[in-house]
Amino acid sequence: MSNDPFVADERGWTPVNPRLATGRRVVATSFTTLITALVVAILVVGGYPELGFVALVLGIGVGLWLWWLIGRQVRAIGYAERDDDLLVVSGILFRRLVLVPYGRMQLVDVRRGPLERYLGLATVQLHTAAATTDATIPGLPPDVAGRLRDQLAAFGEQRSAGL
Amino acid sequence: MTPPRRTHPVTPLVTGVRAAPVLIIGVFVVGNGAATEFFGGLGTGAVVALILLAVGLYSYIAWTRLEFFYDDDGDLRITSGLLVRNERRVQLSRLQSVDITQPLLARLFGLAELRPDVAGASAEGTTLRYLSLEDAQQLRAELLAKAAGLRAEEDAAVSTAPEEVLVQVPPPHLLASLILQPSTVLLVLLVPTVVTFAGVADVWELGITGILLLAAPITVVGGQFLKYFGFTVAQSPDGLRLRFGLTSHRSQTVPPGRVQAVRIERPLMWKPWGWVRVVVNVAGTAGGSEGEERPSVILPVAPLPVARAVLHRVLPGVDPFAVMLERAPAAARWRAPLQHKNLGVGSTSSVFVTRRGWLVPRWDVVPHARTQSVRVVQGPWQRRLGVASIHVDSTPGPVSIVALHQEASRAREIGQAQAKRAGLARRLGGPGQPESASVPESDPLR
Repeated sequence: MSNDPFVADERGWTPVNPRLATGRRVVATSFTTLITALVVAILVVGGYPELGFVALVLGIGVGLWLWWLIGRQVRAIGYAERDDDLLVVSGILFRRLVLVPYGRMQLVDVRRGPLERYLGLATVQLHTAAATTDATIPGLPPDVAGRLRDQLAAFGEQRSAGL
Repeated sequence: MTPPRRTHPVTPLVTGVRAAPVLIIGVFVVGNGAATEFFGGLGTGAVVALILLAVGLYSYIAWTRLEFFYDDDGDLRITSGLLVRNERRVQLSRLQSVDITQPLLARLFGLAELRPDVAGASAEGTTLRYLSLEDAQQLRAELLAKAAGLRAEEDAAVSTAPEEVLVQVPPPHLLASLILQPSTVLLVLLVPTVVTFAGVADVWELGITGILLLAAPITVVGGQFLKYFGFTVAQSPDGLRLRFGLTSHRSQTVPPGRVQAVRIERPLMWKPWGWVRVVVNVAGTAGGSEGEERPSVILPVAPLPVARAVLHRVLPGVDPFAVMLERAPAAARWRAPLQHKNLGVGSTSSVFVTRRGWLVPRWDVVPHARTQSVRVVQGPWQRRLGVASIHVDSTPGPVSIVALHQEASRAREIGQAQAKRAGLARRLGGPGQPESASVPESDPLR
C-alpha cells in the first residue's frame, strides 16, 4: 500500500457531478458579491473611495480564490462501493476517508434542496448508530442517488440478516 | 389492564414542601406590597396560610390524578394532569434501564423517584415521584423482568433480582483519588503562583482572587465526592447494578450486552497505587438531552485487578492491557510532543484498542461487533510528518476511540481491516455481543 492513505484501490473513486461545483460557486459568489458591494458602498458613501477600491479588489480576489478552491474541493470528493463497505473520501487540506460497513447502516437519506433540484443533483447521507459517522455524498444525479440508496439499503439488509 | 396504582400517600406533602417556599418568596419578593393589597389587606401570616392551603390542595389533587397501571399489551401507562389529562405509555420492549434516585427532600421521607428510561422518550412525563424506596425497587425489578420477557405472575410478588456485590469503593479511597487528579493538582498549584505574582507585583486584589481560586478545586472535588460517594457495583440477573451518591442517591442498571465501548484511564498520580477508572458508552437515545442520566462511570476508582473483574462482566474475555499495541512512529512527536510515547493501536479477535493521553493515559476499547464506522483523517501538518489518525465511531457517550498519528502508510490498512472485522463480527455475532433476553429484537443497535 502506498504512503498516501487516501489513494483509490483498483476500482478507483467514483467522482461526483461537476455541477456540484457550479452550485457551490453560485452560493459563494453571490455571498461574496453581496458583502463586497455592501462594504464598498459603505466606504464610498462614508468618503473613503480609495479604501472602497481596495475592498473591491480584495472582494474580487476572495471570489476568484473561492471559485478555484470549490473546483478542487468537489474534485476531491469520491466514493467507492466495495463488497462489504462503502468508502467516501473528501477534503484537500484536511483529508478524510470514511468507511461504513454495509451491515452498520441504519438508514440512508436522499436530500434535495431547492438549488440542488434546479441543478438536477441530490445528496446521499448514511446514518449509523454513531452520531460521529459523517458519510455524506453530495452532488449525485437523482437517478444515481436513488439507485445508490436502494442498493445500500439492500446490502445493509443482507449483511445484517440472521441476527 | 391491571388496577391503577398511585404513588406514595406522602407525595403531596413532599411536593408541597418543595413548592411552597418558592411560591411564598416569589409572592413577597416579586409582588412585594401588591400581595397584601391584592388579598385585601390581609396580614402576612394569612397570606402565607392561604398560599400553603392552595399549594396543599393542588398537590393533593395532583396526587389523586396521577395513576399508573399496565395496559393490555403489558406496557406501563402513566396518567396525570389536573385539567389537561396526559397519558404516557412506557413501551417495555424499548426499555433501556430504570433509574431510582433519591433527592435530598424525598430521602428525608424515605421516598424515591423512579425513572424508566425508554429510547427516544423524554424522562419528564414518565418519572414517578414519589414511591417508597421499597416499592420503587420492587417496581423496577418488575419492569426489568417484564422487559426481559419474563412475564411476572399476576399475583406473586416479584422479588428484586438477587445480586452479588462486586466492588464497594471506600470513601477515603475515593477522596484521595479525586485529590490526586491532574486537574485538581494543577488548579491547586495555580494558587501559590498567582499569590506569589500578586506579592511581587504588589497587587493585593489579585492575591485575594488567587486565594478565591481555591474554591474551584474544592467545589469540583467536593461535588464529585458527593456524587460518587459509596459507589457500589453489583452483578444481578438484569445486568450490572450501580449505586452511588450521598446527598442524592442514584441507582443505575447496565443491561448485559448494552455496553458499546469502554475507557480505562489512569491519571499519572494514580500510577504508584495502581488505580484506574472505568467509563463506558451505553446504547440509548442518540444525543438525548438527558444523556447524563445514562450510566457512564461504572467504576470511579479501583485497583487494577478489581477493575479487570468488573471489565470482565461488561466485555467478557477482554483484557486491553494484554493487547500488543503498535506504537506511533517517531515523527508523531512533532505533532503530539507530550503524549506521543503513549500513542498506540492494536486489536484482538474481538476488540479494537487504542491508547493515548499524557497526564491521563487512557485505553479505549471497542468490540468489533460494536464498531459503527471508521474514519481516517489527515491534516496538513500530519501530512508533512507522514502520519494519519484513525477514528472508530461508537454510539454517543464519553468514550471516543481514536488511534492518533499512526504511520500514514499503515493508516488505511488499519482502518480497512477494522471496517472489515466490524462487518464480519456483525454477521457472525461475535463475542462482546452476548445473547440476552433483556435486549429487545427491535433494537437497531443489535
